[in-house]
Amino acid sequence: MVPNNAPFVIFIGQPNCGKSTLFNAIAGHKAQTSNFPGTTVKHTHSKVNIGGRVLNIIDLPGTYSLSPADPAEKVALTHLFQETPDLVVNVVDASILGRSLELTLELLEMELPMVVALNMTDLAENKGITVDFQKLSALLGVPVIPTIARRGKGIQELFEATLKCLDGKCFGKHLKWSGDVEEEIQRLGESLPEGFSCVANKRFTAIKMIESGHLFCNEFLEDINPDLKKSLDGVRANLERKRRMPVYEVIAAERHHLSQKIFEESSRVRRGKAIGWQERLDGLIMHPVLGYGILFIVFLSFFFLIFKVGSPLETLLLKPFTGLKAVLAAKLGGGLLFHIADGLLQGIGGGVAIVLPYFIPLLFLMAILEDVGYLARAGFLLDTFMHRIGLHGKSVSPFILGFGCNVPAIVSTRILESRRDRILTSLLIPFIPCSARTTIILALVAFYLGPLWALGFYAANVLLVAVLGRVLSLFMKEASPGLILEIPSLKIPSLKDVFFKIYLQLKSFVLFAWPLFVAGSVILGFIQSLHWDRAINAVLSPLVANVLGLPRELGVTLVFGFLRKELSLLMMLQALGAGYQNLLSVISRDQMIVFTVFVSFFIPCLSTFAILWKESGKKIAFVSAGLSISVAVIVSFLVRLLI
Amino acid sequence: MNLTQAPQGVRLKIVDISGGEQVCRRLLSLGFHAGDEIERVSQGILRGPLLVKIVRSGCSVAIGRGIAAKILVEVADGPQ
Repeated sequence: MVPNNAPFVIFIGQPNCGKSTLFNAIAGHKAQTSNFPGTTVKHTHSKVNIGGRVLNIIDLPGTYSLSPADPAEKVALTHLFQETPDLVVNVVDASILGRSLELTLELLEMELPMVVALNMTDLAENKGITVDFQKLSALLGVPVIPTIARRGKGIQELFEATLKCLDGKCFGKHLKWSGDVEEEIQRLGESLPEGFSCVANKRFTAIKMIESGHLFCNEFLEDINPDLKKSLDGVRANLERKRRMPVYEVIAAERHHLSQKIFEESSRVRRGKAIGWQERLDGLIMHPVLGYGILFIVFLSFFFLIFKVGSPLETLLLKPFTGLKAVLAAKLGGGLLFHIADGLLQGIGGGVAIVLPYFIPLLFLMAILEDVGYLARAGFLLDTFMHRIGLHGKSVSPFILGFGCNVPAIVSTRILESRRDRILTSLLIPFIPCSARTTIILALVAFYLGPLWALGFYAANVLLVAVLGRVLSLFMKEASPGLILEIPSLKIPSLKDVFFKIYLQLKSFVLFAWPLFVAGSVILGFIQSLHWDRAINAVLSPLVANVLGLPRELGVTLVFGFLRKELSLLMMLQALGAGYQNLLSVISRDQMIVFTVFVSFFIPCLSTFAILWKESGKKIAFVSAGLSISVAVIVSFLVRLLI
Repeated sequence: MNLTQAPQGVRLKIVDISGGEQVCRRLLSLGFHAGDEIERVSQGILRGPLLVKIVRSGCSVAIGRGIAAKILVEVADGPQ
């Protein structure tokens, strides 16, 4: 956290209500956004200057309530409870106001100064819901600002309200619940000793103590204050007896009814008007038969579109680099300088000609699918198949993210409620071909052997993940809790957001992956000129030459593959001393396939390994590495026998 | 009857949500409360999950069959 005395403003709201989009509109683009509940799994912090005042603003993961269910939600609560923000901006999805207000009510109970950003008012209007924001503001007692974050509407007004509330402190109303429940809460609240409020204030502490049996201050209560424990148990028993339901449900029902009441008093809903294209399109996409056809077509066209855009570009861009190499060879001879210059050229050329032509279209299509809201729908459709491999549809989103990059995919397993699901998903993710690997598969396998080979490789890859999941889930006896996944409304993606996402990812590629690739190629050139590669190749030769039947010169590329898997494939050319044109003269088609298979699986790349370690611990990281190596050896050996 | 046995395309009223506290809390926070009306909209193939719409808010939620079996419903009366 930045040590400064600028006020802290946190953005909090239910999943997929547009917190990050709003945050980006204010802080300049910093946070990842998409149309999938749970895109933000850790907080994003930014310092902004609003009207001459510096503020620390923090975007938190979405949370349905202040009783967390998954680790991403816990992140939100830690910030809320421990860092006592100076202002809370509660982002509310106006199109599902009734439910969104339940969190708002909980935040009001905390008595923090608050502004409500009534977001997605355009979507609400489409659904026939008109919210009278002034009335809502009067009911809640805090400013309510209508916004459409996607189009930057209402941001200025939100700024003004934020500044005003920082000075004037906008505290909400005390909204009362039904008489009998309110009475019990007050009684418990008053019996709390001074200074006992472990969260926010006495009333809120009392509510949380009643609501949650596992709250941290309840656990020691028996020892430190047996009288209080007795009266708490009394209150809980009273409520359960009166309402004939578990006590947490009593509290949830109170909030539910109150927020429905506020919703009905502040909004007008025109009935009977269908939502038009969205509902009809959803009927098709989620259709029990047609939906799967559409899913298949979407992924197939995804693949071919990228290939059709990428391969002519690759051909075009490779030409100058091949020419340059010949010039270099003529001028520099075969010494150290040539090897280093060649490495540099391979590094830069590989990035420009091999990676970018496929990477950019891939990012573009990914961003569109994400923002339309297709991922959650794919999750629904694929849940059945995920069950066969011991998981459920909520893991589809981390998996699909994994096709982009394995690292954020592993972080995003935080949206899964049970540890078992998180570990199983995290162990499978390194087997998903990320965008970098896909690029290489397209640029090398599809480019040299034809797109059907690449597609076949992909299909086999998915099958492998399925089989592996099935096998791994045998070792994880605990049952998966099952799928509960909100399906967000379909939205037309904004081109601005899409381009911004591409920019974010390209930036990290150019700043992080590419320099590594160039450096790797230069180092390989250096090693080659000193003939050190022979020693490394000799050590790895039993595996590379004997088991896999590959040219032993490829051994050295595996060392680099640990940094990033695609390095091995890209450096294949350099290691074999081949150019882009004559690659197939030094390595056979079958060898190329075996090598691609081996490299794709053989070890999680360094960043994936690091994030696995961080998220799930050392043990899981090493289990994953061991799993990858054994799978890679077995599968590529099998492939060698088969083809 | 539970939600897996309920007909599709008809308004249903939630009678009770059984099952563990974790699952119950999750469902409550997504807007499934006893007394509320929901509707089954679609389902995945091969005994896949159910797509359920909450009538009042219009939210759609995908629910696995294991969890759907814990939601007890009856056909809602009144105008469809």
